[in-house]
Amino acid sequence: MVALSLMLSLGLALPCGDGLVIHCGKVMSMDDSDSIHAPGMIWVEDGELSYVGAVREVPEGWELRTEDEMWAMPGMVDLHTHIHSGGWGDTNDMVHSVNPELRAQAALRPANRLGKLACAAGVTCLLGIPGSGTNMSGFGVLYKTKTSGSFEEVVWKRVGGLKVAQDSNPARRAGTEGWGNCRASMGWTLEDVADKALASRREGRRDPALENLEKVMAGELPVLIHTAGSEGVVNTARMWSRKYNTHCVISHGSFDGWKVASVIAEWGVPVNHGPRTMDWFSSRNGRINGSGAEYVAAGVPLFSLNTDSSVIPQEEFFLQGSMTARLGGSPYQMLRALTIHPAKAFGLDDRVGSLEVGKDADIVLYDGDPLDPRTRVMRVWIEGELQYDRDETRAFF
Amino acid sequence: MILSRERSQLGKVARKAVLLTALSCSLSVHVSAQEEPEVAHVLLAKKALICGEDGRETINNAAVIFRDGKIEAVGRQGELELPLGAVIHDLGDSWVMPGMIDLHSHIAGSGYNDMIYQCNPGLRASVSVTPQNERLNMGMLGGVTTILFIPGSGTNIGGQGVLMKTGPGDFEDLVIRDPGSMKVAQGDNPKRWGYGMQRTMMNHHIRVTLRKGKAYAKRWEAFERGDGERPERHLHLDIFRDLEAKRTQISTHTQYYQVVLASLNILKGEFGFDAYIDHGSFDSWPLGQIAEEMGVAAILGPREVLFPRAATYPKDGRVEGSAWGFQKEGHSMIGFNTDAPVVPQEELPLQSAMGVRYGFDNSEFDAVRGVTIVPAQVAAIDHRVGSLMAGKDADLLVVTGDPSDPRSAVEMVWIDGVLASDVRGSYGSDREAVRRW
Repeated sequence: MVALSLMLSLGLALPCGDGLVIHCGKVMSMDDSDSIHAPGMIWVEDGELSYVGAVREVPEGWELRTEDEMWAMPGMVDLHTHIHSGGWGDTNDMVHSVNPELRAQAALRPANRLGKLACAAGVTCLLGIPGSGTNMSGFGVLYKTKTSGSFEEVVWKRVGGLKVAQDSNPARRAGTEGWGNCRASMGWTLEDVADKALASRREGRRDPALENLEKVMAGELPVLIHTAGSEGVVNTARMWSRKYNTHCVISHGSFDGWKVASVIAEWGVPVNHGPRTMDWFSSRNGRINGSGAEYVAAGVPLFSLNTDSSVIPQEEFFLQGSMTARLGGSPYQMLRALTIHPAKAFGLDDRVGSLEVGKDADIVLYDGDPLDPRTRVMRVWIEGELQYDRDETRAFF
Repeated sequence: MILSRERSQLGKVARKAVLLTALSCSLSVHVSAQEEPEVAHVLLAKKALICGEDGRETINNAAVIFRDGKIEAVGRQGELELPLGAVIHDLGDSWVMPGMIDLHSHIAGSGYNDMIYQCNPGLRASVSVTPQNERLNMGMLGGVTTILFIPGSGTNIGGQGVLMKTGPGDFEDLVIRDPGSMKVAQGDNPKRWGYGMQRTMMNHHIRVTLRKGKAYAKRWEAFERGDGERPERHLHLDIFRDLEAKRTQISTHTQYYQVVLASLNILKGEFGFDAYIDHGSFDSWPLGQIAEEMGVAAILGPREVLFPRAATYPKDGRVEGSAWGFQKEGHSMIGFNTDAPVVPQEELPLQSAMGVRYGFDNSEFDAVRGVTIVPAQVAAIDHRVGSLMAGKDADLLVVTGDPSDPRSAVEMVWIDGVLASDVRGSYGSDREAVRRW
């Protein structure tokens, strides 16, 4: 015991117990210094990463997996998804136009069919949010796409963040307002409930329906806002960032939303782009504009992508990156947009988004470049547990 | 009755005028070369994907020589003698490949889905063609140089498709063959034509029409042999003379096991027409072996995957590719389509890429073959297009890498030896000027 403490104090301690070592051809860490280790090694202990870097001696008694041909990446993180119930059901209550009291967690079906496909495609962390039928449809549930497990085992945050919808869909019938709900009305409705939440906290009313919205208004919980079009995007950013100074992320930002990208960049509001990543509608000389590439070029912080699953199937999340690269973005930026950027944008980077010591061991092994559709996902670990192994069960073809 | 022509001199002049206008703003450097059609061009590329009929050959450090709209020679740099005075295009690290071919497209014009009668073998899509339209142009910029423009699937026989180039030029310049096919639709969509109509009724009407058409063709054959009276001309049935003489094929909107089986048995088995599957979605791939034995090709799309929701075929909850399935069954003529605009015309190579993602073996560039030589052979236009072979049309693409990777860009498009698009070196700030994405 004395010897052991001596070793620890000298920093000479060798890991003991049973850990896992993955030795790969290339480790894309996606950390802040863009470390790529080729070949590289990942150590997993108790569901966390205990070492990521160059190849070194493996502790005795640990399991060593040699995957010389493989690329390792952190599991992908999608902030805009609707597959938590296993389909479209139970994700879009549309009785009232603002629903700060609703929580998507009630609809979560752990390890459902769509979630298993997501896992097999390397998407390991999802924010399952309510639909955009109303202006404020409730709070999303943050969970891992483990292929088995109870609610408690898969859920990371029961209240992961608020979903607001400020353009298009809720104009069709945003709850009690019914037909005729346009941008001015939607804006008023949202400011009204936001002001009520601020007043509730100020006066200590403890209104249970506003409890979580109060946290959003105080910057203690993030908010993801469905908005699109240049006028929609700029209005959303003005309200949630300039006026209320919330921890907000613009989601969608489609059509000609990219035209206000420089303003959004100046205000420092992160953009979570998709499912449309191209703009046909405000075509310049008939050109297809890669709207994702335009946001990146304008310097929007923490540009990330989404699927709005199942609008785009969850398993095709990577393809959002490929297509944005096709339409002008840099491929490495797109890897960030699928991993570390969404994690940082929603304050999840203490546990996910990159392969760094202390984070969750959410690891995906590919047999090639993750953005190439011809590449296969070979193995997926979530929190150190092997969830998917293509050699055992193939989810695709 | 069948329009199949090489480009006329008149067309060439008109086409050149269009091209000169298009190029004058940004590509003036290439114009002087275009004014002298007899001057040979040479493309020097890192790799050439030949897509030949009998192999999967690729050539590293390749040279492609073409002149007056036709490919003259393809070989290794240094081993080919370059013609005197040839214009040399050094493409650096880029690759060269044949222009891509889509046998299921609806973007060459509008108004192609007449739904008055249930079977319309006499209607021609060619009358709706609008050359130079925006979608056609976008497809061309994405590397699609030949399409089969076909009527919609609102009725059981929508009419006649036209095989055509995507540009530049007017209709006479673009057409490769008219009729390019007769479009038959056997599943789903034509059921909407009349409420209460289902598969058995649709198949009955198709068979009735095919029988009438075949009899009509036989009467003309007899007359031409001097064995019978001159039959009365019937515009609705004229295409069956081309089908009977194997001058054109039936392109078939068909999907699901039992519908594809009906297509095979009726179109090929019962009537003996050249026909190919032009969807082949859902659970139709288990018919791959039978289709192969019957000589019916599978041009797959726009859906490339069978999602586990379909209860019709057991497969352990996996997402499977249609192309994977047909290939697994030993099918050798597998191609890809877009059904544009269902999938945008310019995303044809992405269709084959997704085929590969969902299991199609691409170790010998079969994904590229599936959008080049395979559709060319299936539509019997492989004497003109589909591979880098001497004597074929100089429909050439310069690509930055494997076209099945969405990150690869099409940098140059040559159609019939005419430079239709050149966006080389236009990344970054210059991108605005010429690139379409």
